[in-house]
This record gives sequence, C-alpha cells and structure tokens, in this order.
Amino acid sequence: MINAVALRAEVHDQIKKIGYADIVVGIPSFNNAKTIGHVVRAIQVGLAKYFPRNKAVIVNSDGGSSDGTIGMVQNTSIEDFDAILLHRRVEPISKIAFPYAGIPGKGSAFRSIFEVAKMLDAKACVVVDSDLRSITPEWIELLVKPVLEGGFDYVAPLYHRHKFDGTITNSIVYPLTRTLYGRRVRQPIGGDFGFSGKLAQFYLTQDVWESDVARFGIDIWMTTTAMANGFKVAQSFLGAKIHDAKDPGADLSSMLYQVVSATFELMEHHADTWMPIRGSEPVTTFGFEYTVGLEHVNVNTARMLNLFREGLNNLREIWLDILGAGDFREVERLGTLSDAEFEFPLSLWVRVIYDYAIAFHKRKLPVEHLIKSLTPLYVGKTASFILMAESMNAVEAEAEIEKLCVEFESSKDYLINSWKK
Amino acid sequence: MTDFLSLILEPLQEVFLTFKIFLPNLLAMLVIMILGVILARIIRFMLVKSLTAINFDSWSDRMGFTTLMRKGDLWAKPSAMLGSVVLWLLITVTLMIGLSALKIPTIDSLVEQFFGYLPRVFSAVLILIIGYVLAGFISRGVLIAAVNSGYHYAKLLAEAIRTLLTVLILAMVMEQLQIAPSIVLAAFSIIFGGIVVALSISFGVGGIDAAKRMIERESAENCAAGVKDEIEHI
Repeated sequence: MINAVALRAEVHDQIKKIGYADIVVGIPSFNNAKTIGHVVRAIQVGLAKYFPRNKAVIVNSDGGSSDGTIGMVQNTSIEDFDAILLHRRVEPISKIAFPYAGIPGKGSAFRSIFEVAKMLDAKACVVVDSDLRSITPEWIELLVKPVLEGGFDYVAPLYHRHKFDGTITNSIVYPLTRTLYGRRVRQPIGGDFGFSGKLAQFYLTQDVWESDVARFGIDIWMTTTAMANGFKVAQSFLGAKIHDAKDPGADLSSMLYQVVSATFELMEHHADTWMPIRGSEPVTTFGFEYTVGLEHVNVNTARMLNLFREGLNNLREIWLDILGAGDFREVERLGTLSDAEFEFPLSLWVRVIYDYAIAFHKRKLPVEHLIKSLTPLYVGKTASFILMAESMNAVEAEAEIEKLCVEFESSKDYLINSWKK
Repeated sequence: MTDFLSLILEPLQEVFLTFKIFLPNLLAMLVIMILGVILARIIRFMLVKSLTAINFDSWSDRMGFTTLMRKGDLWAKPSAMLGSVVLWLLITVTLMIGLSALKIPTIDSLVEQFFGYLPRVFSAVLILIIGYVLAGFISRGVLIAAVNSGYHYAKLLAEAIRTLLTVLILAMVMEQLQIAPSIVLAAFSIIFGGIVVALSISFGVGGIDAAKRMIERESAENCAAGVKDEIEHI
C-alpha cells in the first residue's frame, strides 16, 4: 500500500466535521485568483441546480499561490440562489481550501483531492481547471451524472475546439491512445474529468506519486489507467473550452516532452494490455452537441516550415538513428518541397510516432533529448495539417483526424513487431 | 696453484651462491606471472560475457563510444575492447608484482613508482570517459534546444561547445597524468583564452559585417514572420 499524502491537521478537522460527501469537486490551482471565483460559482450553481439533495464538497488543492487564490475560494459564494435557480438547494455546499504537500505539480494537487474524496467516502468526484472561463453549471451535471446514475467510473470531457487547436492531442495523443487501448476518448488530456470514488481510491493505490505523474503527466495517466484497468469509461460534451491565456513563454518542446513522455511511459507500463488490442470502439457520449462559435486563431505556417527545415539540416544524425534510413529518406524529401507543396503523409507521421515510441522503449537517447528532437517533425506535421485544413470546416477537419486515427490503427502491427525485436 | 684455482672458483662460487638465493625469487616471479596471466584471461572472459549480457555494446553505440573507437581505427566490439584493456592492465600489474618478487632494489623502486602512478591513470581514464559522455550530452542538448528555438547556427554552436569541453577535458586528463603540467596549463590557457579572444575580435572587429548579416537575417525573419502563432498545442 502506498503511503497516504500528508494533509494538514486543520484539513483533517474540517473533513471530520463534514463527515461524508456524495460529491467531491476538486480544483487544483496555482495563482489563479483572477479566474477561480468564476469556477467556484459555476460549481456551486451546478451542484445546487442538478444535485440539490446530494451532500457536496468543493476542494481547492493549491500549489502555494501568492495572489490570494485560497482566500478567493473561501470568500466566493452565490449571494442569491433565487435569482439563478427556480428551487432552493437542500444540502449545504462545504468548501475546503489548502496548500497540498508533495512534489509541486498538478498530480500532487489531484492526489490530495483523491485523499479527501476517500476520507469523505465520496461516490462521485469531479476535477476542473481553475483558469476556466467557459465553465457552466452544466459541466458539473455532465461530469457527475454518468458516474452517480449511469454506473460509469470515468468521464472524459469532449470539447469543441478550433480546428487548429489541440494539435498535440489531435496528431499524437488521441490517435495513439485510441489505437493502443481501443477506446475512442477524444480528449484524453482534457483536464476536466468526472470519476467514481472507487476509481479515486484505485488511483491512490498506484505507486506514481513521486514520479513525473505528480509533476505534469496526471491527465493522460488518469485516462489511460482507467482504460487499461477495465473501468467503465464515457465522455461528456461540454461545449467550448476557453481558459486563461497560457504563459507566452511556455516552450513548445517542453510541452511536447511532458505530454509525449508521459504517454510513452504509460505504453511501457501497459504493454501487455495494449498489444493484443486491434481496432477501436466508440465510448458512450453524454450531452447535447451543438455548434460553438470559436475565436479566430492566427498561425504562421512559413515560420513552422522553416523550423522543420532547420531540424532536418541540424538533427540529421539523430533522426536517422531513430527513424531508420527508409523513413528518414521520406522526411528528407519533404525538406525539398516548397511551402505550397508541403504535405506530411499520414503514413509517414504514424511511423515517425511509432519509431519514437520504440526509441523510447529501447532507450536510444536520454528521454528529454529524444522527445525534444521530435519538435521540428511535429511542427512540420502541424503546418501540413493547417495548410490542408485552411479551407475546411470543423467537420471536414475532424474527418482528417479520423483518417489519421485509422492509419494509426492499421499500422499497429509495425509498432508491435518493432517493439518485440 | 691452489691459490690460483681458488681465485677462479671463488667468484664462480659467489655467482652460484647469489644465483641460489636468486633462483626461488625467479621461480616465484614465473609462477606469479603464469598464474597472473591465467587469472587475467579468466577475468577478461567473465567480463566480456557479463558485458554482453547487459548489452554493453548497444549502450556504447548510444553513448557514442563505438563511433569514437571507429574514428580511432579500432574495429573490435566495445565489450571485447574493454576486455582487452582490462587483460593488458592485469598483465602489466602481474608483471610488476612478478618483478617485485625478484627483490632487486632498482626494480623495486620502479614497481613502487608504477603503483604510485596507477591511481592517476585510473582517475584520468575516469575523467576521460565521464567527460566524453558529458560533452556529448551537453552538445546534443544545446543542438536540440537551439534548433527548436529556430536558431540558424545550431550545429555550429553545438560543435563549438563540444570542442571547448573536449579541450577542457583533455587538459584535465593531462594534468591528472602529470604530463608536462606547466606546459599543459599554459597551452590550455592560450587555447581557451585564444578562442574567446578570437571570437571577441572576429565579432567585435573583423566580423562586424558577418555579425550584422546574422542579426539582420534573424530580425528580417522575425519581421517576415509577422503573424504570431496563437495555436494551443494541448
């Protein structure tokens, strides 16, 4: 059994006072005082509106904010429910806000939330990001009801996003997890999830809380762990996901490293599970899908293609070692194409990702160097998608992602054969 | 006549007596050397087997040791190569122990010097191996980071860093081996300082135009890039 996370004495006292809860809503945060108030209000209204008879607790697990995030959570409340709802809530909503212990990261924040859920013997849990601007009370219903009333253990989010957004998800994480585990969870690293108390307790028993999962890999870890261990998985349509502008200094290659290394690490861990799986099946989807107005996204494909060519010129030896002579020749050919002609073939991209997964498995390079050397290839693939999807509508762009997924699935034997060599 | 005979026999007797005393030492040396060589061969065999079992050759490929060996015209497998190095090291040590068994003062002092120098050789080899791996790791990290930042001279920068680190490591190795330390120190200071001064002068004076072109190229591309990417990758 893994040691329980240390919660402060006053948190224990609060939990004791509350006794038990049907629903625990967790909000991990770090310096989100500007946005967390809206998130807390949406949750309060959601709980009041859709779960008036269930005892609920909002848990803010904070990473040591210095901008008064915890105070904001404590002080945010709906003054007049009557103005928003037609009926009054029966059960009060408790709030617990505390700085979490352990390695700094979203995973450690989640661990504390799971611990609180376990101590309160919660039936259903939800976690939502603290910088959300588009969260509505309905999100709580859509993430909790499949667990409380539908018997599901894990509910992933399904958002409508701009066709150019979420490219790491669209070109790597979604097709790869779908192919590996055979379930079509469209947003495996969405960040806002619903799950059962049973699954929260299962998460706590896993020996990952001192690893990168605690730092940055929690989203993909939760989704993959649920799928690979046979928990009932669903997804809920939540509309648009609009959140605070990300740190402009955030480095793409670091993001790519965090997401891809976490995904590859899980491949290592669940190799026996994913190897026999062929094809994929859709998961139950809740919520009413509607078209969402999305903001325009500026892109500069010329700069992206320049980065790809710089990669080709400078990372030649590394790529040749990882991709092998055949695939590298194809990548080299892409380098000779003009911007207008540039098209990254789907089959090549699939083999690139599989080759990187195999290089990770065989520890061909130090992990950070390996994954970061993928950046120019990823940027080239993204530019190719943007050039192609420029004139497409959202449905057509989604159809292209579906084609990529099918290519991933049909080439799975290549991955398995190379993996076993 | 007797006196004459004793004059001839006495030195012979002395030689014989000395040889009688020396013979067990010689035999001890031979036994030590034969056993040492056999033991060294057994150790080499076991070492190569163990290295093969833990995929040392693949690890060497990844770390770049194999490439380094090939550059030095060594075509054996890294595991076999390391086995040979250990074998010859053990044979040398055996030879020195064997020679010390002869109990000849001059050889004894030579053996003493050899064993006194051995720790320096070990630390020098260690510095060389760790330094080589570290230089490769750092220059590759710089190369990847520079490429991902869109820097045009990524390879040049990475190679420059690798060269500087190699010079630093070689100077450390030479210093450790006490091979002309004052000359090594002076040469290192001249080379290292020279590189820095050369870079300063070339960019500061001689390379004004080149530096200008590089800066202009970067800024022109940044201007041409114009539109800022707003993609959310995750």
